[in-house]
Amino acid sequence: MPMLEDEVRRLMADETARLRAAPDLLERVIRADRDRRRRAKAAAVAASVIASVAVVAAPVVYLTAGSTAPVGGQATTSAVPEPPAIDDTPPVRTEPETLGDLGDGREFGHVKVGYLPDRLRWGNWSVNHGDSYTTSWNYKGDSEGSYRVQIFVYENAAVQELDDRLRIYREEGEGEDVTVGDRSGYLVVTNVGEDGMAGTPTLFLKMGDAQWAEIMFSPVYAKEFSGPEAVTAELRKIAEGLTSTM
Amino acid sequence: MSGVEHDFGAFVAARATSLLRVAYLACGDETEAEDLLQTALERTYRKWDRVSHDNPEPYVRRVIVNAAISRARRRAVLSIVPMHSPPERPARAGDPDLVHVLMDALRALPPRQRAVVVLRYWEDLSETQTAEALGCSVGTVKSQASKAMAKLRSALGRDTVEGVIKNAHA
Repeated sequence: MPMLEDEVRRLMADETARLRAAPDLLERVIRADRDRRRRAKAAAVAASVIASVAVVAAPVVYLTAGSTAPVGGQATTSAVPEPPAIDDTPPVRTEPETLGDLGDGREFGHVKVGYLPDRLRWGNWSVNHGDSYTTSWNYKGDSEGSYRVQIFVYENAAVQELDDRLRIYREEGEGEDVTVGDRSGYLVVTNVGEDGMAGTPTLFLKMGDAQWAEIMFSPVYAKEFSGPEAVTAELRKIAEGLTSTM
Repeated sequence: MSGVEHDFGAFVAARATSLLRVAYLACGDETEAEDLLQTALERTYRKWDRVSHDNPEPYVRRVIVNAAISRARRRAVLSIVPMHSPPERPARAGDPDLVHVLMDALRALPPRQRAVVVLRYWEDLSETQTAEALGCSVGTVKSQASKAMAKLRSALGRDTVEGVIKNAHA
């Protein structure tokens, strides 16, 4: 047995020996699950209330000759508030390798961004890992390092990593294969538990055999839209406008 | 307490500490590890009917390491947490803080390589089992393990490590 592997194993044992699972872990897990079910139920109730109010409100709008009642506005106030997303957390800056000054951020690496939703501006940062790189867009006034839309590009060897991730999503029954124009893709809400379980709406787009893009909406940004369908529609529009310069 | 809660509770009581250690090694941060473990267990609990028929531990472990990879990837991008840099120079012989040197070197690995090291050398999984946990090929595990160990060797200094061990055993 090689000595380095043995030593790594021993050092890891030394480092983790002091760790013990919290006594209330089980309780927290079960409580979180109940909370999640409660939120889902509340959201479903809120949605049904909105739908019923819309049906009732329709004749009112007609009878008052053009007045536009805020049909959805009152009903949505009954929704259970979501826990804050981690995207709101002020970041601690580090200095990874970047793609440099991208101007308006509409062209970076080997891709061009043809469409972005209104008001988004380049977030003035990027990360460049060589065969994968990324940048993002946010609103003027957003905290530095936060994102609303982010695009991650995988090229050449990095595509394998993405293939692996997509295989896991498929095995887990999460997300669905989609087509965007004549290109294939995969639509999923990624959820790694750090965003109040809201998840990150994500569209993976195959731009070529050696190039994929991952388009993400932050959970915070996704809440600005009327629902998952509206978010998906915007993700698709961004994907449609994304072109390769490889 | 329902039957499901009882069974799940027994599993948590038996395996949570072991899984917490996997989470810690996969992410390099104690608080983060606790959160990773809770997240993985919540997900497991939701699918308990499905995963409890067989040994649920590989499933939880898989969720943990893949969530750790996803978080690290996102955080590297967003710079939410400080990133640890590998030591600029190899550890000197007799360095009393070798554990910290290793942990820093481990944290500095790309997340997938770190996960391979944890699964192969901490969990003692085979290359096939590691590939299964990470959802990748055995070839990928081999190449990632090779790269990771080369980096650890470089960061620690293999001769130095062996020297420390020899000294410790002397």
